[in-house]
Amino acid sequence: MADDLDPSEFEETARAAMAACAGTADPAARGRLLAEAGLLGVIAPEAVGGLDLPIRFALPVVKAAGAGLLGYPLIEALLLARHLAPVDPALAGAIVEGRTLASIAWTGCAEDRSVNGLPMGERADPVLVFLRDGGAGLLSRGQGCHALASTGLDIDLPDSTLVLSGAKPRMVLDAAAVAALRADAALLRAGFIEGAAAQCLALAADYAQERVQFGKPLSANQVLRHRLSRDALAVETIRAGLARALAEPAEGAAIAREAVWLCAAQTGPAIAESAIQVFGGMGFTWDVPLHRHLRQMQAQATRGTAIEGIDALAEALLADTENEWYGDLAYAG
Amino acid sequence: MNLYKSTTLKTPPPAGAHAARARTWIAENLTDRLRTDRAHDTPATLDELIAFERALHAAGFAGITWPREYEGHGLGPREHLEINREIGRAPMPNAVNSIGKELAGPIILAVGTEAQKAELLPAILTMQHIWCQGFSEPGAGSDLVALRTRAERVADGWRLNGQKIWTSGASKSQRCLLLARTGRAEDRHRGLVLFAVPMDAPGVDVREIRSIDGQWSFCEVFFNDVIVQDSHMLGAPDEGWNAAARVLSIERATNRMYRSWRFQSELEHLVAACRSDRRALGVLRPYMRQLAQIRVEIEMLKGLVETLVERLMTGSEIGPNGSFPKLYWSEAHQRFARIACEIVAQFPAVTEGPLADVRARMQDIYLASRAETIYAGTTEIQLDIIAKRILNLKRAA
Ligand SMILES: Cc1cc2nc3c(=O)[nH]c(=O)nc-3n(C[C@H](O)[C@H](O)[C@H](O)COP(=O)(O)OP(=O)(O)OC[C@H]3O[C@@H](n4cnc5c(N)ncnc54)[C@H](O)[C@@H]3O)c2cc1C
Repeated sequence: MADDLDPSEFEETARAAMAACAGTADPAARGRLLAEAGLLGVIAPEAVGGLDLPIRFALPVVKAAGAGLLGYPLIEALLLARHLAPVDPALAGAIVEGRTLASIAWTGCAEDRSVNGLPMGERADPVLVFLRDGGAGLLSRGQGCHALASTGLDIDLPDSTLVLSGAKPRMVLDAAAVAALRADAALLRAGFIEGAAAQCLALAADYAQERVQFGKPLSANQVLRHRLSRDALAVETIRAGLARALAEPAEGAAIAREAVWLCAAQTGPAIAESAIQVFGGMGFTWDVPLHRHLRQMQAQATRGTAIEGIDALAEALLADTENEWYGDLAYAG
Repeated sequence: MNLYKSTTLKTPPPAGAHAARARTWIAENLTDRLRTDRAHDTPATLDELIAFERALHAAGFAGITWPREYEGHGLGPREHLEINREIGRAPMPNAVNSIGKELAGPIILAVGTEAQKAELLPAILTMQHIWCQGFSEPGAGSDLVALRTRAERVADGWRLNGQKIWTSGASKSQRCLLLARTGRAEDRHRGLVLFAVPMDAPGVDVREIRSIDGQWSFCEVFFNDVIVQDSHMLGAPDEGWNAAARVLSIERATNRMYRSWRFQSELEHLVAACRSDRRALGVLRPYMRQLAQIRVEIEMLKGLVETLVERLMTGSEIGPNGSFPKLYWSEAHQRFARIACEIVAQFPAVTEGPLADVRARMQDIYLASRAETIYAGTTEIQLDIIAKRILNLKRAA
């Protein structure tokens, strides 16, 4: 099926669905809209009602979500529908159909009795939580756990803390399955950030050409032209890095994926910050959506534990190298 | 909780038959004297470097995409990339004749006559002709089309008068890719003409200029009533320049395609050398987060380069997109060089061994890297190109 399809064919559908979602305040209704557009099951197996497509087909969907400030835990839905399908097909099917709003608590583990980074945690049921042994389990609402209001920055997809008082998660994924889920998550998050960052750049470039000061558009000034060029470079870098990671290069698919995720986590928010500067006072207003993009991208960086990722990469770099010229530098003689 | 297994974040050696062959050849032919990751009391001579570069071509690793009839190897950009990954991984000296291979050659292929191709192209690959690039002038740097070097029609060909500057490698070159004009400086883009000037022609005068790294890497070149034939002209007036501009955009994107992999190997060298010594490891540790950041940037650079290779494969225009990898590479490499230089400055006093070698290399890289945001279009010019030609930002209401 993937052979005669092109991921870009999902772009228009995704954009339209995001626009429709923006028109309703009810997250459950958004879930139904996304499901009707066939977007929640793009990478889920056919057995649970999905399209069983490779992950690259989900990229246009998450990019559109990033650009469109989607208030729905889409990344979580895509991941859960795909990765829970073998162990809990009923739940995966309900997620694909938009009947169940499920989410993932991205940081902390259940044994610590509270977990964080849970997008739309006040609505989500069930919730996937990670376990200390590297696996993951499901918790349902009311079974000895409750969500506390957001402590994060995201207002479109507020994060919750989930407090576990005696709740025992139902083990569903082992460590290998969780690693696979996290690998997909890194790509989807990077795509989401690319969409959001590209949108911020587009807004800033438009504004700079409309707004006139000193008798000419802001975009006539080289400092702002160069700022926008740097932001364009940053967006292009994420785009190219994602294309490369999705192609799973023989020389290191894991590092390619990790790198684009870490790059997106850092440069994405910086592009939104830059756009706010270009907008001047207008950029600091609640009504201009740049701060919402900034918040969403910052939240992605937190959920994906980007700082831990950089430190893990540092560790790997320090441990040894595959370059035979530098495998062992204790010179002979 | 460490969610990442460090072993999964490695880069295995590049796959592919060409890569494997290149890896073996380099391991066998890159002698200690030629290695750029060793401090040498007497650096490799020009003759040694030329011999190595000639052998590299004979083995199939230069002129990779050029047609076989001109001594090329007739392969595509993907194979070029595959081999360049290996070249990048090894501590190989930079090509003496990169202007010949990466600039003059592609322009000759695009606009040269059959006779020019047959004469000039093989000579580049066999290292008979080392080339230099005579574009910049004292009054024409970023604003290249302000150049004033004149080419006048005379009975027996063309008479050249003018001055070039920052001409890399001119004192060891046999040919100069010269950009001159047939009309007046006010004509700007009109009437520009390209020549392949023999450097031993009467009236060509070369003076070396010392650069910040202590090397004599670039020159001033004076042309005083130098006479060249029509057969030295590459393309017709205007045509040559238009072709050159197209080639330049491709070259900006693809020249020294090994850069990301070389960059990675420099980082790996630094870390490996520090690992070999307890005190150096102590110096290194606080910088690891910054270096991991650099490692991310190297990976992203590969993405930018490989995207353009794919574009070339599908026959798409590169146009202004070549500015992306140039800008990204030059600035990331400078960041790395600054950190590396700071690290080696804190090494214990040693005069030989891995620490002395890596210190010398990183200091060289630090100084050399300062030029990377200047040549081939400065950072500011790349940013101008992106603003104008990619973002299409308007200048007036
Ligand atoms: C190591 C090295 C090797 C070189 N080799 C060659 C060679 O082989 N052949 C050759 O022809 N040339 C060569 N060059 C020259 C190189 O192409 C020029 O140095 C470069 O184009 C910049 O020109 P310039 O030096 O005249 O600087 P200028 O153009 O005078 O620029 C000076 C500064 O002003 C900035 N600037 C200029 N115009 C603008 C603008 N419109 N907006 C904002 N900022 C601006 C520049 O970015 C730069 O920071 C080499 C240079 C170096 C450093």
